[in-house]
Amino acid sequence: MMTETDKTAARRAPVKNPKRPAPRRGRTTDLMVRWSFMFPAVLLLVTLLAYPIFYTIDISFSRFDIATFGAAEFVGWDNYREVIGDYRFWESLKVTMIYLAFALPLQVVLGFGIAYLINVEWAGRGVIRALFIIPMVVAPVVAGGMWRMILDPLWGIMNYWLGLIGVGPMDWFGDPGLAMASIIIIDTWRWTPFIVLIATAALLALPKDVFEAARIDGANWWSTLWSVAVPLLVPVIAATFVIRWLGAVKMFDIVLAATYGGPGKATNVINLFIYEEAFRSLRFAESAAMAVIVLVLTMVLTGLFLRASRKLEELF
Amino acid sequence: MGTVQIRDVRKSFGTFEVLHGVSIDIEDGEFVALVGPSGCGKSTLLRMIAGLEDITAGEIVIGDRVVNDVAPKDRDIAMVFQNYALYPHKNVRDNMGFALRQRRVSKREITERVEEAARILGLEPLLDRKPRQLSGGQRQRVAMGRAIVRNPNVFLFDEPLSNLDAKLRVQMRSEIKELHQRLKTTTIYVTHDQIEAMTLADRVVVMNGGVIEQVGAPLDLYDRPASLFVAAFIGSPPMNFFEGDFVDPTTFALADGTRLKLPVPDPKGRRHGTIGVRPEHFTLEQSGWPATVSVVEPTGSETQITARLAGRSIRVLIRGRTATRPGEAIHLGVEPELIHFFDAAPVPALAEMEDVA
Repeated sequence: MMTETDKTAARRAPVKNPKRPAPRRGRTTDLMVRWSFMFPAVLLLVTLLAYPIFYTIDISFSRFDIATFGAAEFVGWDNYREVIGDYRFWESLKVTMIYLAFALPLQVVLGFGIAYLINVEWAGRGVIRALFIIPMVVAPVVAGGMWRMILDPLWGIMNYWLGLIGVGPMDWFGDPGLAMASIIIIDTWRWTPFIVLIATAALLALPKDVFEAARIDGANWWSTLWSVAVPLLVPVIAATFVIRWLGAVKMFDIVLAATYGGPGKATNVINLFIYEEAFRSLRFAESAAMAVIVLVLTMVLTGLFLRASRKLEELF
Repeated sequence: MGTVQIRDVRKSFGTFEVLHGVSIDIEDGEFVALVGPSGCGKSTLLRMIAGLEDITAGEIVIGDRVVNDVAPKDRDIAMVFQNYALYPHKNVRDNMGFALRQRRVSKREITERVEEAARILGLEPLLDRKPRQLSGGQRQRVAMGRAIVRNPNVFLFDEPLSNLDAKLRVQMRSEIKELHQRLKTTTIYVTHDQIEAMTLADRVVVMNGGVIEQVGAPLDLYDRPASLFVAAFIGSPPMNFFEGDFVDPTTFALADGTRLKLPVPDPKGRRHGTIGVRPEHFTLEQSGWPATVSVVEPTGSETQITARLAGRSIRVLIRGRTATRPGEAIHLGVEPELIHFFDAAPVPALAEMEDVA
């Protein structure tokens, strides 16, 4: 949170050197210099971002010609109509929503919870923080494969451990419900540390004196958490939620490596479905239409989240 | 009972000792200011009284209890922080009532006590506002309200006015004083502003480098500073100092050979030392210490003259007005009882003296 003085400082910052005269230079030279600096970034954005998006939009409104690998004649909303009529598309969306509905709150709560717990000063705190980063640096496909071994029904260590406390054996990837749980566990393992990192930074940046005031006021651990820490963290929690939401919508790699959408279609998230339709069934136009629908949905929902989080901030 | 005894208290961070044995006895209802430059340990001492820092050695007694191992909430103290430390998401009412709610005080009593405190501080119309909808002065008042509501034995203030602008600071200063006169609660007030300390406190504790330089009533410190440091720290504009040798009991020779006639001999009979005269204790005379006026700054009620004496810049404060012009030679006289003698020592550079309101 900015204090009044910070804000004024920030507002004044850009006019730090109002007296220095701009070097004389022709308008054309000036423009060229500017664009030459921007060119690499513009090129990168156009080739890697703008072109694929417009290409996708283009083919989503066309019949796809495999021979030229491009849009053939314009077919209007046909692809969209077909996709919307396809129950498998809705099933995949539902699977994605189930995954999001469990994974996001779990990760945010766990992430902030762990951060709050390890924020207390103690020896070895740094080491633990460093250890937390490991899951993030493991490639998602590797993580998926690793967890497939851990959760293997026959010789996986998870079932062995659960067996020790008298639970199981569980068919982690065979049962539809458990398969979704496995995906959520793996994803949570992978992404919670990231949230812990953000949350730790946020906790360290909180004003210490408010917590001291709470100590003097006699707030116990629990009411310090609920009456001081959580309200102060609301903006960061909301932002983290949006960041994780944007990352989680893209869920693909872990599912690909761990369950490949199975059993049945129990973990067939939308991105995996789009990928399958495009590169296995070669229905590029229809997948493009699905991708565009998902893109629009994501944008709308993100907008809603941002708006809601701003409302929440005003509330606090 | 709101007595506080600090007995040979020490504080180390790691191997670095910041408080080297500090003892103060504070009586019930007394207003004590801890004053000193940054890093002198005053805030650390206050935080130790509050229980926010451990006590490395020594004892702190509040009332008749040694509180070294007592949690902050059980010390019966309330603290006002420099940055107010209000709960940003709670309105004024809840900010002030929070401590009572933690103590499971009944709703009716909380309302009563919050409203009473709000009335004292003139916060009634603001009770439903959030801290960010308040001005700096109002926030500070809420922070004070939060302290009052608890009806503690001791109030602790940690530089509460340093975030306010000069005019508001003066206003809040008298509000704090009024509040203390009304509630008569023991108050320990940390500030780096000697004017705040002087105007507010019954007793001022001047700290420097982790030790107490002098404890005394404000005017005692002004009239009888025990050390060069206190002399330089207390008073605005600051005291003028001259280092030199006592050629005979009433003749003082500066380094460049200038000889100043002293109205009284050094009571301690030093051979070498520093003499100090406050700007307001000089008088313009027909004969006396010779100086050359460089700047004349009239403010109406008084006139500040910057002059050069033996190559050094000195400040002279004259009540009323004077016809003196820059470049003119003047002669300065000093009343015998208004000249201070110290052991020779470098005059402490006190940057913070300059930001006095």
